[in-house]
Amino acid sequence: MRGRTSTIESFHGEWKLMRSDQQEAPSLQAAQPTRPTEEKAAAWFLYSAVFWLAVPGIAGLIMAVFLFAPYVQDWLPMWARPYIQFGRLRPVHVNLALIGWLSMVYASSMIFIVARLTRAPIYAEKLARANVVLWNVVVAGALVSLLLGFNQGREYAELVWPLDLLLIVCFAILAVNIWGTVFRRTEKRLYISVWSFMAASLIFPFIYAIGNVVWDTSGALTGMNDAILNYFYVHNLFNVWFTTGAMGLVFYLLPKLTGNPIWSYRLAVWGFASVWTGQHHLLYGPGPEWLELLSVSFSILAAVPNTAFAYNFFKTMQGSWNKVVTDVPLRFLAMGCLFYVATCFQGVSQSFRGFNAQIHFSNWVIGHSHLAFVASYSFFAFALVYHLLPRLMGRPLFDRRLMEWHFWLIAPSLIAFMVTLWAAGLIQGENWLTGGIPFVETVKAMKPYMFLRLVTGAAMGAGIAVFVYNTLLSLRTKPNPAPVAEQVA
Amino acid sequence: MKQPSILYLIVGSFAFLIAGFVVTVWLPGFLKDPQPTEFAVRYNDVQLEGRDIYIREGCWYCHTQQVRSIEVEVGTVRLRGDIGPESVPGDYVYQKPVLWGTNRQGPDLSHVASRPYATKEWHIIHLEDPNNVVPGSVMPSFEHLNDRDMDALSEYLMALK
Repeated sequence: MRGRTSTIESFHGEWKLMRSDQQEAPSLQAAQPTRPTEEKAAAWFLYSAVFWLAVPGIAGLIMAVFLFAPYVQDWLPMWARPYIQFGRLRPVHVNLALIGWLSMVYASSMIFIVARLTRAPIYAEKLARANVVLWNVVVAGALVSLLLGFNQGREYAELVWPLDLLLIVCFAILAVNIWGTVFRRTEKRLYISVWSFMAASLIFPFIYAIGNVVWDTSGALTGMNDAILNYFYVHNLFNVWFTTGAMGLVFYLLPKLTGNPIWSYRLAVWGFASVWTGQHHLLYGPGPEWLELLSVSFSILAAVPNTAFAYNFFKTMQGSWNKVVTDVPLRFLAMGCLFYVATCFQGVSQSFRGFNAQIHFSNWVIGHSHLAFVASYSFFAFALVYHLLPRLMGRPLFDRRLMEWHFWLIAPSLIAFMVTLWAAGLIQGENWLTGGIPFVETVKAMKPYMFLRLVTGAAMGAGIAVFVYNTLLSLRTKPNPAPVAEQVA
Repeated sequence: MKQPSILYLIVGSFAFLIAGFVVTVWLPGFLKDPQPTEFAVRYNDVQLEGRDIYIREGCWYCHTQQVRSIEVEVGTVRLRGDIGPESVPGDYVYQKPVLWGTNRQGPDLSHVASRPYATKEWHIIHLEDPNNVVPGSVMPSFEHLNDRDMDALSEYLMALK
């Protein structure tokens, strides 16, 4: 019989590992933060991430204003207009969210989690601290260079060549720390999260280097192959780094916060991602048709790991749903998992050519990317920040009630935001394929949707502001009086 | 249960990466060497400068440069079908990077120079105050560009036949 009992028995090592680490802190309420001074790198990563989150939030909000009321731009002083403009803010919004906010939360969590699951101190703490500094330099460089208009003209791969190289160094150092810690581990068995982090950190620097064409300072190929490589990169940034990483994070945090072991460890191993699906971003485009069909086939195949994840998630949550009422981090995590399942199945549906024809180029796709990067990955990241912060800093959160504000400001408005964009996208697609409707008429028809996008976006922005405020002010709370020594070195 | 060796992870991950790269990136380029079509333009210096401005200002975030097969004869900027002929790989042989784009807040620009009203002067007036030329447009004004940039950008747009 498959199920929880047999899983515990057959994977006794993992289960014991999760339990022992969990005994002192099944949830944030009982958090006993320890050793505030030793793991500075992870803490710095975490705070840097929270700090940078403010930038994509603000940039997104300004863009939403411009899309609803473009005349607002005319109110800006002339010197500011080249920089505060949709075409400059858009790459800032995307890049800062991905390499500033999300990737730095990932880096922090990976270092923290790997040290615990392997029962070994991080391989090179000083190197990791240097990495935080370098990573911040890259993100600041990205912000400034993109605002100044240094852009390589390739979506998600906009950063200029020197920043590309530095960012590869950052990811490589992270990989060295993860792998180095694994090789010096004292816990022989590796939990599924560690496997995920090892795979993601090993492969991603190569994907980044290839996708950004680092052997050429222009960062691009010539002709059709450039677009093919660009979307190979875009989808693998998502699949190899964010998804593979997220699986490790969820399979660590979910048992931690619910107190249940992963329902099926075997099923969790089925979290593979495919690197063959990039071309589904360019369906009916000028690229080769066989490649489109191949990418569609592999996109449909992605339903298999998605189903495995969904089943495992629901079975692991069984009996713990009541906890989401009081436990905000668990609420973020569980909601993020639900959104993740939705993202994956929406992604599969979008790769069908008939449906893709309708929604391609429209606001639907913007809704989908927010479902992936905000509703699932950022929700995981919020849960991680709330979980890690007291442990890393050895001090409680500034105000626990603000976590509720954060959640209730961001979650309902995010859903409304995405539904608005999906509806808007369907209308755009319908108008465009009907033909004979002047383009600007569709733009005018978007007005009410752009208004809703702005209002819901503003509420999301308020949620993020509360989160950043609450987290940053936690630096000023009193340290916990007597840190309890942790079993894990 | 014994866990597999870490070596499997290393070998498997790289095999996975290389296979994906070879099939979906290298093979398409190897199989097809597109010949330049009538729409493939070797840009002159001014047009290349204009293209760099097009990239710098992020025009390509809102305007695509690819006409999909399903929208030929249907796609509309002002009149049904005026989006232009379908894009094929040969159209892009001289472009680096290509600017296909994935989002349309504004119309496709693959063949913007072929539209009857589009002259260089029209583009300059339109770039300075889009909403005045096309009421209801959400495109930002680019009147802050200097004359040289404005000239180069409109030269580039006029090269998109």
